[in-house]
Amino acid sequence: MISRELCKKVLSVAVSTGADYAEIFAEHTLNHSINMISDKVDSVNDSVVAGAGIRVFKGLRSVSASTVDTTEAGLIKCAQRAADALGEGSAAISIELRERLFGDIHPIKTVPASVSNAEKVKILKDGYFAARNHSDLIKQVRGTLLDIDHNILIANSEGIYAQDRQIRTRIAITAVAEKNGETQSGFCGPGRRMGMEMFEHEVDAVKVGIKAAEQAEIMAGAGYCPAGVMPVAIGNGFGGVIFHEACGHSLEASSVAYGTSQFCGKLGQQIANPKVTAIDDGTIPNAWGSINIDDEGTPAQRKVLIEKGILKMYMVDKFNGRRMGMESTGSARREDYSYTTTSRMTNTFIAEGSDDNDDIISSMEYGLYAKEMGGGSVNPTTGEFNFGVNEAYIVRNGKICEPVRGASLVGKGSDVIMKIDMVGKNLDLGTGMCGSSSGSIPTTVGQPLIRVSSITVGGR
Amino acid sequence: MTYEMFKEAVIAAAKKLGIKEYELYYSSSEGTSAEVFKHEIKNFSSSVFGGACFRCLVDGKMGYASTEELSEEQAESVVRRAFENAGVLETDEKQFLVSGGQEYEPLDIKPYALPTTDELIKTALAGQEAVYAADPSVIDGTEAGAESEVARIAIFNSNGLDLKYENNIAIYYASAVVSDGKEMSDDFACKAGSFDALDVKQIAEKAVSGAKAMQNADVAPTGNYPVVFSPKAMANMLSAFSGIFSSENAQKGLSLLKGREGEKIAADIVTLVDDPFSPESAMPINFDAEGSPTRKKNVIDKGVLTTLLYNLKTAAIGGVKTTGNASKAGYSSNIGIRPFTFSISAGDITEEELLEKAGSGVYINDVSGLHAGADPVSGDFSLQSSGFMIEDGRKTKPVKSFTVAGNFYDLLKNITAIASNAELRNPFGITAFGSPSVLVTGLTVAGK
Repeated sequence: MISRELCKKVLSVAVSTGADYAEIFAEHTLNHSINMISDKVDSVNDSVVAGAGIRVFKGLRSVSASTVDTTEAGLIKCAQRAADALGEGSAAISIELRERLFGDIHPIKTVPASVSNAEKVKILKDGYFAARNHSDLIKQVRGTLLDIDHNILIANSEGIYAQDRQIRTRIAITAVAEKNGETQSGFCGPGRRMGMEMFEHEVDAVKVGIKAAEQAEIMAGAGYCPAGVMPVAIGNGFGGVIFHEACGHSLEASSVAYGTSQFCGKLGQQIANPKVTAIDDGTIPNAWGSINIDDEGTPAQRKVLIEKGILKMYMVDKFNGRRMGMESTGSARREDYSYTTTSRMTNTFIAEGSDDNDDIISSMEYGLYAKEMGGGSVNPTTGEFNFGVNEAYIVRNGKICEPVRGASLVGKGSDVIMKIDMVGKNLDLGTGMCGSSSGSIPTTVGQPLIRVSSITVGGR
Repeated sequence: MTYEMFKEAVIAAAKKLGIKEYELYYSSSEGTSAEVFKHEIKNFSSSVFGGACFRCLVDGKMGYASTEELSEEQAESVVRRAFENAGVLETDEKQFLVSGGQEYEPLDIKPYALPTTDELIKTALAGQEAVYAADPSVIDGTEAGAESEVARIAIFNSNGLDLKYENNIAIYYASAVVSDGKEMSDDFACKAGSFDALDVKQIAEKAVSGAKAMQNADVAPTGNYPVVFSPKAMANMLSAFSGIFSSENAQKGLSLLKGREGEKIAADIVTLVDDPFSPESAMPINFDAEGSPTRKKNVIDKGVLTTLLYNLKTAAIGGVKTTGNASKAGYSSNIGIRPFTFSISAGDITEEELLEKAGSGVYINDVSGLHAGADPVSGDFSLQSSGFMIEDGRKTKPVKSFTVAGNFYDLLKNITAIASNAELRNPFGITAFGSPSVLVTGLTVAGK
């Protein structure tokens, strides 16, 4: 993308007013998606995202500048803006760049851009019509097949000059079922850090469509979820969104460094139930949230955040790490060059426990089984979170009974992770997009079946 | 290369491929922002952005492709890719480009000078000090910031359309964190517009008092009560469910308002206005994302749904004229539908009188998790909320970590009173939502 020589020149301008660190993040990304609705291919999105972001630090101050103009003149101008905003001073460091190769732990067999639209449409239709034709209740279906070819280059004043190519593929089907004039949706949307080979052995488009349709059908027939405080069993896979929101965001340096996290100053302390071990692992081969290097050029790591309830680590990026006196944990991420990097999650999950799934359900006299979670959000300062539940059932006398719709779960992160008192054995991962100050990034959530001893269920 | 050069390159590339009907949409901006932590600037950023989207009609199908790289090579690439993408489309919905020679309402933008880098930094720092000064319970983690941006849009098409738009936006905000030593709470206040009349003290006090009000909040008791939504909470609800007013959603069976134009869908006291020219909007605009003229209209007039929101494609299907609501989520997006300044009209009683009417119940100050707890298709919602109990017609103790649940279609019918305190929420872009406080019956509160 940008030669080592030019990077050196640009970084030299960036540090010319006394910065003690400078960095270039450049990208060239192809985004492609095919969308179906009302049984027809309805639109194709196809865009090239290209530009560069330059950051300089001086102590605990940071300046970021970004530009779409990646010509030499454009980059130098951008670096000059960053240097000027830092203030007056003279260069304190010199720039030497050495090319570094990190290798690729996420091999890609079929680069999506090399596959024709027609072939992609065929796969999308397999999933789409599996949902559409599932039953008479299904009145509308939306389907998307998307692929991203994200090429990044990072050069910084510590001497790194490195590139990575991150390819991701995802299919998402939303089915809408109608019963007695009311509609309910079902959703399934798996993705991987893979090319089109994802559809050969990892993801079956037909199964994706069927799952979305079944969920919509079940929920269309369901009554409203009763409200109240009760025990809740949360299903594996995407159920892990509860840890992501209730706890994960509060372990990011972006809030810990500023004292605004519920878990500040708690390293080494018991913050979760001893049943809980939680891990953020960017190195899982070909998982949706995996990376080779983060957006500051630090290699991906596997981090045990919480071990048997004890807080072991935060997720740290270079800038916020300065304030915390901690090294980067390979957690710096950004949606694209126009955002300022900060610490974010990769693949974050609760590790397998020792409880049998059957025991978890049978332990509940009256409660909720949240089989498939929807999205959620959190205020990292207070730890207050909320989630939608896409597919839920009442549990009575240890048995899963009728489905209920419209459920949501609310609570406080530091309370709820103490109350995770049973952890099952069927760990699975789920695909998501996480939005925060550095934009929308692919993240994986995950867990086995867990039980929360009591939590507020919103319903009516 | 510049946009004008890129435009010429695209015209030449389209000619070479024999494409006769096409449009080039270009959006660009230059922005700066400053954020403060403790008493110093933590981050300063500056951005230069521009992206171009080419779309063309091939056998009645509209293909799209876009790029942020303005080069000769990309000019040819977007034209070729858009042409190829059109080839896989199957939809038989007829697509259109707006014809030239449209009449646009004159736009009354009073451009204000953007703050200089120096002013931006000084304002952010002064704002931060004002937050600390507002109350001794304010702690580190509090953050004031200021942003300024020049935003530009240009649309050119083969029918002779050649529109340009430019506007300046300045935003100041304060996010206060307070602590009583045991628990933290926070709130946010902001203002868009010229920094000349900016009162950072007033904004600081608003954020701090909002955060302080939520200290020692209890969980609301479960039950069915009258609920008052604050302007902020109701505007957020409106934003989550604004998609039900899209004709595209209605035509595709994704809105229950399908076929209900002319019918009563809300209480008599409800009027919902879409105004592209609102003086409170940061980006009033007289053309939409397709280049059609925009206009102000009552979407709900005294409870009756007068019109859905249309673009050229959905208007043709519905046999009506476009309402000028074509939108793009970003420069590279396909054309969709969105409102501009979308707000419930003010009533004629004060909020105090509204609370008296409620008697006892819950005042919802804010709702969160709208992307998870609100289903825009069914209208069902179950949302994490915070606010106050209402006792004897007055706001009393703070409550949080509870949900309010119901159905938005029912809610519109169950609005029994509307206050006069209309407010626009975060009017930073082309679309913004607003509402006064409203009293609603028939909702379920789930807490303890």
